[in-house]
Amino acid sequence: MSERTIELEVLRYRPEQDQEPFFQTYKVPCEEEWVVLDALNYVKEEMDRTLSYRWSCHMFVCGSCGMMIDGEPKLACKAFLKDYPTGKIRVEPLSNFPIERDLVVVLDDFVEKLESVKPYIIPKEERTVEQGEYLQTPAQLKAFKQYTLCINCLCCYAVCPQYGLDESFVGPAALALAHRYNMDSRDLGRAARDDVVAAAEGIWHCSFVGACSQVCPKDVDPAGAIQQAKFAHGIDYLTSFLPGGKR
Amino acid sequence: MNPRKPYVRPISKTSWFMTQSRYKVYMLHEISSLFVAIYSAILIIGLVRLGEGEAAWQGWLDAVTSPIGVIFHLIAFVFALIHTTSWFKAVPQAMRIQRGEEIVPGKLIVGAHYGVLAAVSLFVLILAGVA
Ligand code: SF4
Ligand code: SF4
Ligand code: FES
Repeated sequence: MSERTIELEVLRYRPEQDQEPFFQTYKVPCEEEWVVLDALNYVKEEMDRTLSYRWSCHMFVCGSCGMMIDGEPKLACKAFLKDYPTGKIRVEPLSNFPIERDLVVVLDDFVEKLESVKPYIIPKEERTVEQGEYLQTPAQLKAFKQYTLCINCLCCYAVCPQYGLDESFVGPAALALAHRYNMDSRDLGRAARDDVVAAAEGIWHCSFVGACSQVCPKDVDPAGAIQQAKFAHGIDYLTSFLPGGKR
Repeated sequence: MNPRKPYVRPISKTSWFMTQSRYKVYMLHEISSLFVAIYSAILIIGLVRLGEGEAAWQGWLDAVTSPIGVIFHLIAFVFALIHTTSWFKAVPQAMRIQRGEEIVPGKLIVGAHYGVLAAVSLFVLILAGVA
């Protein structure tokens, strides 16, 4: 196994002693097949125990290691060092979020938004356990499956200019998740979600920059989900003028 | 005392779109719509002029075929191309078509859009006696 030294420039911020963040460079001896997270773990274990960052699964599942790597929001466990041939890598906490400490950002705003879109099935019909499960065909599953794959890594929020400019925007992942439940054949909660989803801070705030979908490590395509939701609302609005339409 | 002191990084409200190339591409798309709008306005004015009689119509024709008129239309054409291609590229995201258990591939949807564009353009050119 060959080794190479990587210069890891990490944005550091220790609230108890720093007025603002600053870059600290670590020269890290790395194995060829490592990802950025391995390099950070090496720093933490062998060089500087004070460095803070989030991670858990090391296999693109938990969504906790999202950070800016050379300016792009990525999962640190999915960012292979071999893709950075210059040997210099800049690591920063996710953009558009306040920094709690070093690479750890404050997630409270997102968690509130996630809750606000009611991300759970609001059933069409209440069924008792005796009545058995809700049935769904593979085609019905396919209609929303893609939007279930989100791991809440927040890479999409870090690149969304609308969220960066105005944090009242509900944002890509939460809106994609709302769409996921709205598209579920077992669900009848769309009207209940619309207070948040169809508000000015909801889907209409998105200007379809599409950046969120470009960076999503799970190919969730939140930008697509939001445009489809806009389309559905547009159709609703138009049909409301037809005889028998609800206005 | 609360030891927390979250740090908020500043974002420029006026030049944020210069920070990433994908934002620049987006802005180019947005700006292109301005040219498409001006082009459409000129066309509508032409229709109004046509209704106002031959002298008015000739005046409009002279204006659009003047050097400035031609230069504007060339620029508008380039922006119309940018606008069209960037929209068509994004269509499969907004228009997701499901057939049974399969999602219709985006390439097919984009291809269909270009097909319709070509057909309509050809029709208009024939109508205009150019092709
Ligand atoms: S939509 Fe994609 S980028 Fe956004 S939080 Fe979910 S997995 Fe991450
Ligand atoms: S498509 Fe919408 S949600 Fe996604 S980055 Fe652009 S503005 Fe944000
Ligand atoms: S550590 Fe879990 S997604 Fe990277």
